[in-house]
Amino acid sequence: MQQGYMNDIEKQTFQDEILLSKLREILLKEDRAALHTVQEVLDDPEKLSNRISPIIEHRLDILKQNFPEEYERIVTGIIEKKIKDSQDDLLDVIYPVLGKMIRKYVNQQFQVLKDNIDGRIANTFSSKSIIGRLRALVFGVRDSELLLSNLDSAVIEEVYVIERDSGILMGSYSRNSTIDKEVIAGMLTAIKSFVEDAFQREREDLELIQYGTYKILIQNFHTYYIAIALGGTLSSSEKAKLSTLILDFAEKELKLGKKHHEGYLDYEISEKLQTYFTAKLST
Amino acid sequence: MISKKVILTGSFGVGKTSLFNQFIYSRFSDKYLTTIGVKVNKKVISIEGKELSILLWDIAGEVSQDKVPVSYFLGASGIIYVFDLTRPTTFKNIETDLDYLKGLLPNSSVKIVGNKKDLLSEEEIEEVLKTIGNKCHITTSAKTGENVNELFLELGKELL
Ligand SMILES: Nc1nc2c(ncn2[C@@H]2O[C@H](COP(=O)(O)OP(=O)(O)OP(=O)(O)O)[C@@H](O)[C@H]2O)c(=O)[nH]1
Ligand SMILES: [Mg+2]
Repeated sequence: MQQGYMNDIEKQTFQDEILLSKLREILLKEDRAALHTVQEVLDDPEKLSNRISPIIEHRLDILKQNFPEEYERIVTGIIEKKIKDSQDDLLDVIYPVLGKMIRKYVNQQFQVLKDNIDGRIANTFSSKSIIGRLRALVFGVRDSELLLSNLDSAVIEEVYVIERDSGILMGSYSRNSTIDKEVIAGMLTAIKSFVEDAFQREREDLELIQYGTYKILIQNFHTYYIAIALGGTLSSSEKAKLSTLILDFAEKELKLGKKHHEGYLDYEISEKLQTYFTAKLST
Repeated sequence: MISKKVILTGSFGVGKTSLFNQFIYSRFSDKYLTTIGVKVNKKVISIEGKELSILLWDIAGEVSQDKVPVSYFLGASGIIYVFDLTRPTTFKNIETDLDYLKGLLPNSSVKIVGNKKDLLSEEEIEEVLKTIGNKCHITTSAKTGENVNELFLELGKELL
């Protein structure tokens, strides 16, 4: 083959090549200019900061908005561990002053806190709660009724209405009465006073006492309080709903003035409790 | 039946818990286990054919009553203020303590009790009672049980 001779195809390729290299030159020129600009920005702290700050701020905003969803698991995990690790230190400081009863109470409170954290994660994915909500949507079942039918694991053992100051029992509901309710009411009030005083919490009341799986929920009112003894497990949302139920009962059935009963066990209150809770629990 | 809250209060180690145990369970121990916080128990007594349920609060002793959490006193119909006949420090604040308690519970019945009478002779007891201006209502022994039921019966009568 002779040199310098090109067929049509080769000629075309050659021309293309020239065009391409010109194009490259142009593009590279722009790239180089761009590169130069970037270099300038990088070298000048002020320019750099002007460019980057808005981006970081924007990211931070997004993070702030989505933090609970994205990082809750991790953070609650860390908090949980921290609490667990320092629980003993905390208790050691508190223990000599407040005694055995408080130790138990604080322990239980940590457990409740831990349960709440666990519960919040679990509840989100609980099929039972989703199905329950769907059922409520479709059949229009009321929330409190739904709760009570779900309370299969927790059993209401006793309900007490107790005069707040004296701890004297005003009325009670009981599934099977074996214990002396008057003594329980008195001791409960004493524990309440002890804990509330020991923690020096003004306007804050003891709301839960837990012993193993046995719990006593306390709902405070002005001159009296209602205590519910439960066996079994109760989620935090069920707990909240149960307290709504109690408020509802108090509002509808207990219109007590101060010095209403003067130390007498009020059979009317006991009867109302019996009716209300038997009805609610059988649905 | 009517129920009344009665409190046992006074300085530490005077024998409140011992009176509580003697009254409720008819038992006594020489061991001293200081009370933490408060303990509650109940005894039904019958007075002139009527039954009275006494809800007795055994409160941890304090050198002066204003150190006791007020909530322990609230709603009490009866106050049993106990001092130790053998220890003057336990009755030196008697006046201010009682003023304080009466201020908190103006409608309550009060019993001032000199306990541990088994440790002193009659003459010695007389001496002690004189020094506190004969304010004491009854002297008791939680150990022998002397005058313990009498104390609660007397108070009970006032509560009905
Ligand atoms: N000899 C005698 N000893 C008594 C009597 N009453 C109590 N004691 C003893 O006194 C000590 C203190 O008695 P407690 O009943 O624990 O005293 P307290 O008033 O409850 O004390 P705090 O709970 O600390 O306030 C114990 O060792 C009792 O055994 C009594 O009548 N006679
Ligand atoms: Mg004691």
